[in-house]
Amino acid sequence: MRYVKLYFTCIKRSMLSRLEYKKDAIISILSFLISNACALCSIYFILQAIPTLKGYTPAEVGFFYGFSMLPIALDHLFSDEFWLVAYRRVQLGDMDRHFLRPVPVIFQMFAETFQPDGFGEIIVGVTMIVVCGLNLQVSVTFGAVFVLIIGAIFGAVIITSFKVAFSSLAFIFKRSGPLLQIVYNFTVYAKYPLAIYPQVVRFILIFILPFGLFISLPVDTLLYGTYNPYLLSLIIVGVAIAFFTLATLVWTLCARRYESTGS
Amino acid sequence: MIQVQNLVKVFRKPVRGKGLFGMIATLFSRKYTETRAVDGVSFDIPEGEIVGYIGSNGAGKSTTIKMMCGILTPTSGKVLIDGLEPYLKRRVVAKDIGVVFGQKSQLWWDIPLVESFKVLKEIYQVSDADYGERMAFLSSVLGIDEFLTQPVRTLSLGQRMRADLAASMLHNPKILFLDEPTIGMDVLVKDKIRTAIHALNAKYHTTVVLTTHDMEDIENLCSRIIMIEKGTIIYDGPLGDIKRRFGNIKTLTLTVPPSVDPNSVPPFSNDVTMTVEDDKVLLSFDADKVILEQVVQYAFSQYHAIDMKIADISIEDVVKTILSQQEEEHAMAKKV
Repeated sequence: MRYVKLYFTCIKRSMLSRLEYKKDAIISILSFLISNACALCSIYFILQAIPTLKGYTPAEVGFFYGFSMLPIALDHLFSDEFWLVAYRRVQLGDMDRHFLRPVPVIFQMFAETFQPDGFGEIIVGVTMIVVCGLNLQVSVTFGAVFVLIIGAIFGAVIITSFKVAFSSLAFIFKRSGPLLQIVYNFTVYAKYPLAIYPQVVRFILIFILPFGLFISLPVDTLLYGTYNPYLLSLIIVGVAIAFFTLATLVWTLCARRYESTGS
Repeated sequence: MIQVQNLVKVFRKPVRGKGLFGMIATLFSRKYTETRAVDGVSFDIPEGEIVGYIGSNGAGKSTTIKMMCGILTPTSGKVLIDGLEPYLKRRVVAKDIGVVFGQKSQLWWDIPLVESFKVLKEIYQVSDADYGERMAFLSSVLGIDEFLTQPVRTLSLGQRMRADLAASMLHNPKILFLDEPTIGMDVLVKDKIRTAIHALNAKYHTTVVLTTHDMEDIENLCSRIIMIEKGTIIYDGPLGDIKRRFGNIKTLTLTVPPSVDPNSVPPFSNDVTMTVEDDKVLLSFDADKVILEQVVQYAFSQYHAIDMKIADISIEDVVKTILSQQEEEHAMAKKV
């Protein structure tokens, strides 16, 4: 309970920081609208140009793409600070103050930035799902919707776990941004149906970097009823908990190696 | 309150070659150099004491402070804060300590100062009543109410330091670590900060450990000093002893016209030592034994000084002297 209250206090502070520069806030809202519009357009153009993608119609591919934006957006909302940890903050010795406070450092990182840009991605994603879904005339079942929601939320947890684990390597190497970027970029592959990839890539996207597990498989379940939605939900939740536990463990071990900088 | 037992911190750095090729070669080499930044330091600090932890740049001051507040884990040895090791029980100990690093602010850069305080209040779980009482006290001693609604980035260095000091005191810590709290401040701000530290210590009985390069800080604040050089303690005792050892030593630096040969000027007395550096003449003496005014007059009349500067002994000088005294003692001991 205490941490919930503290979290909201910190988030309020993060929003204040953003609003402190009014022109900057306006520019960032504008640039965000433009970049999302561009993203939508480019998807639209690509889908127009290809009649089918290995048997998938443009509307189906659009559905995959739209759904994939949800876990990515949720992760974006809550864990943006870890990019700074990986790229800059450890290298500059800028983490000292967090180590001096009676609150877990990892919690402080989640509470340091709330990134409202994520809301836009959610809006775009949901729009794409609805438009493509109507177009496909999918038969909506409770189980399928359930697994989609679980996939979005716990998918975000899995993405965040990778961010936590790989950004914490900065405590040892001083800078782990590029490495984190490589891992994060694999989410790009998860934006399309797994079936279009060769076996090896499919294997990686389910068992090693399980971005396919919570994006492609739930959508398959909704569109074609491929898997049992409840069993799939259970697997996704289990994998998410396992990854997050592992990630916090890695973070804790690495954070002990923090050395700060001379002053 | 604070116990430090045989504390050691070794930093391992890869041996780097020179230039780009050297740097690339480093990537494949497994050679390391070890620097013993802190090398077997021990001391005890009782509650309510104000201790000056001093030494020249790179002597190991900041490293020790970082281990005492739990940011760094020692290579060997122990720090106990109220019986707990801060790097193992970080979150528990953090409630009892406040830290100000002169070079790094712990406030949020873009938001008004008071908003930073509100977040810290929540982080340290300070009750509304305590918060009100402490803010009133801190405002009176540090004058922070003048700029409470300004974003931190618009504060001057002196204001920011006062704000940082207030931030570190919000949760009424038992121990306050101050790493160079007066660095880069003007005389008025320095004075304000010193007064505030005294007031905190008197009111809340806060133990204070501060590092500084400023002799005046030490004279004004500390009852005890611990002096560190190359990672080991070279002096630990009351300030009075150091003063007695070094007296009230002052150095006059004179700029002398080329027409004057300083070596031909008769010396003032045996208590004044003269050294010549380029076109500068340095006269150092104990101001308790020799009257300053007379030396100054002598400098004008005999050396025809164009310009002059009076300086108190610096920490670097004290360190140098203590080290050379210790070497002499060693040499004497060997002879005997």
